[in-house]
Amino acid sequence: MINEENDFRKLDLTVGDVFSKDARLKARNVNVFYGNNKAIDNVTIDIGNKEVISFIGPSGCGKSTFLRCFNRMNDTIDTCRVEGKITLEDENIYDRKIDVVPLRARIGMVFQKPNPFPKSIYDNVAYGPRIHGLCENKDHLDGIVEQSLKRAGLWEEVNDRLLSAGTGLSGGQQQRLCIARAIAVSPEVILMDEPCSALDPIATAKIEELIHELGNEYSIVIVTHSMQQAARVSKRTAYFHLGKLIEVGKTKNIFTRPKHSQTEAYISGKIG
Amino acid sequence: MFNFYLLLLILLISFIFFYFGFRQAHILKTLQNQKLHSLFHYYGLYVLLSSLLPSLGLYFVLTICDDVVFAYMIKIYIPLDVLNSKDYNFNIVLAQIKNSVDGLIFGAPPQWVSDTAEIWKTWVFKSNIVTFILCFITSIISGYFGFLKINSKFRSRNAVERIIMTLLAISSVIAILTTIAIIFSVIFESIRFFVLIPFDEFLFGTVWNPQFEGAERAGSGQEGLSQYGAVPLFAGTFLISFIALSVSIPIGLFSAIYLSEYATSKERAIFKPLLEILAGIPTVVYGFFAALTVAPFLRSSGSFFGLDVASESALAAGLVMGIMIIPFISSLSDDVINAVPQSLRDAGYGLGSTKNETVLKIVLPAALPGVVASIILAVSRAVGETMIVVMAAGLAANLTANPLEAVTTVTSQIVTILVGDQEFESAKTLSAFALALTLIIITLGMNFYALHIVKKYKEQYE
Repeated sequence: MINEENDFRKLDLTVGDVFSKDARLKARNVNVFYGNNKAIDNVTIDIGNKEVISFIGPSGCGKSTFLRCFNRMNDTIDTCRVEGKITLEDENIYDRKIDVVPLRARIGMVFQKPNPFPKSIYDNVAYGPRIHGLCENKDHLDGIVEQSLKRAGLWEEVNDRLLSAGTGLSGGQQQRLCIARAIAVSPEVILMDEPCSALDPIATAKIEELIHELGNEYSIVIVTHSMQQAARVSKRTAYFHLGKLIEVGKTKNIFTRPKHSQTEAYISGKIG
Repeated sequence: MFNFYLLLLILLISFIFFYFGFRQAHILKTLQNQKLHSLFHYYGLYVLLSSLLPSLGLYFVLTICDDVVFAYMIKIYIPLDVLNSKDYNFNIVLAQIKNSVDGLIFGAPPQWVSDTAEIWKTWVFKSNIVTFILCFITSIISGYFGFLKINSKFRSRNAVERIIMTLLAISSVIAILTTIAIIFSVIFESIRFFVLIPFDEFLFGTVWNPQFEGAERAGSGQEGLSQYGAVPLFAGTFLISFIALSVSIPIGLFSAIYLSEYATSKERAIFKPLLEILAGIPTVVYGFFAALTVAPFLRSSGSFFGLDVASESALAAGLVMGIMIIPFISSLSDDVINAVPQSLRDAGYGLGSTKNETVLKIVLPAALPGVVASIILAVSRAVGETMIVVMAAGLAANLTANPLEAVTTVTSQIVTILVGDQEFESAKTLSAFALALTLIIITLGMNFYALHIVKKYKEQYE
């Protein structure tokens, strides 16, 4: 059982290694409010360069909300307010001077449900490069599309039907299309919000493999419900509970030797 | 009053049968300990329907038929001298008798009319009694037969489902049959018109100048020569519709985009109902707004620029009609745009699209089939709109593409032709039906074509 008295002292401070030597994203004392509701409470964490980190925790613990702070997707929700500081390459992304359009090109996002545009496969991938003006001509764009689809492991399956509808693919293929769409603009960080929760085990395995490979080139933050998935794909893991970041550490350590009693309770299945 | 009581009685009997059916099922289950297929109330409902529907059907058949039968039977009571008179018309005589039956007496009707009316009244009385007895017996017998069917093996739930499905199917068939009946009535009258006026003259003639047959137009040298070329009417219709649509499509679509994508929920709660009020204004009000406010304004501002604007210009009617159509487009498009899943917008924002890019490149293409459907509806409204053009567009059948001149439309011509007392044999009156038929064919064709477009896009997206 959880030792109540012990917890109160520890809850204010995150346990483990929140900082990273080679940090790409730094979140410092971040609070998020929905109206008067505090969804994220004083979270501080670093996301390393070319690092795969997973956010785990029970439903409603704020891990997706926190993830959406990194590319300012919370801006699209009227009642949402973010306090604190998040820097990308030492630049505060909540600074007034920052324009979200190039920011979101640098920090890509993959969503829970595969959400390809109702356009062709080609147009789906070409969408980002087009709106950001990344391509000089048609050949260049063709190259970007091919390269992105190859990296997402989808090229072999779709290269003969690039002009057919993206929505006509299977769920797993759609999600890989969404990943290809995200990497087509060459982001530095990819945020993934439970990318496999709507997929079957085989499609999930493919995506996980893909995440593993992409981790060599991009920083990847993945929110997941599945502890096994976190264990399989990520080097670091962060555990959230009720809007607080409880513990961060090497995935191996979190799952074998958790320092915080709540983390232990969660990974052993006592909190769910 | 008789009808009301009869229907009440039939209803009452069927409810009593419901009770018996329900009780019988209950007895089977509890006292005889049998396993029933359906719940108790399905047995009750089955007996209720088997009592109610046949007697109701019989009632409607009898009440519709008795007038027809009486009209046939009354013929032998009409005096010979009336039958043999030169201007004898059975329909008129029948109307006289019926009026007398209903107590509507104009002046002093001849003695034989009152006599036959008395005979008719006795028939009505007898027929009421017969109807009453027949319906009463039918409801009891058919209800009893329904009741007999109840046993543990009888699947009353499935039977009730089938009966309800049939009732629903009949309702939809009624709507379809009415449409077909309307089209056929228009077709038959149009055929009579095309007997008088050649088809190609109507369709391709460029002069519309209907006259009463044989009537001479004072001061015109044409000696009452009628010309039925429909081209100017259709040209006028399309000119006004075009103006209306070029007002309403951009404004309607843009306001839909604003309401669904940009407006806060507070603004939306205010703007949307206000916009929908436009749809609630009767078209006749739009009509005098066009005729009394917009047309004079256009005329005076036209003369300011040295333009000669007709007092009943196509522009005035078209502009006001455009305003009238805005809510059709905005409201429907707004619903369609709202139905585009939020996940698509998120995907757009996640890639760094601006709001405008997301709307233009993602949301609108996804909503396109619905938007096109709303535009089709608007086109049909514009082409078929009558009141505004009657009041504001005038009646001069000019063949022109100049929106500042007066034109007339198909619908306003139909109105002017059919308003008031008309002789139904003249080409002028019949031309209204030919116009209506052509209009129906054109709008049907547009709808089919547009549906085809919608289908094509849908296949591409889903």
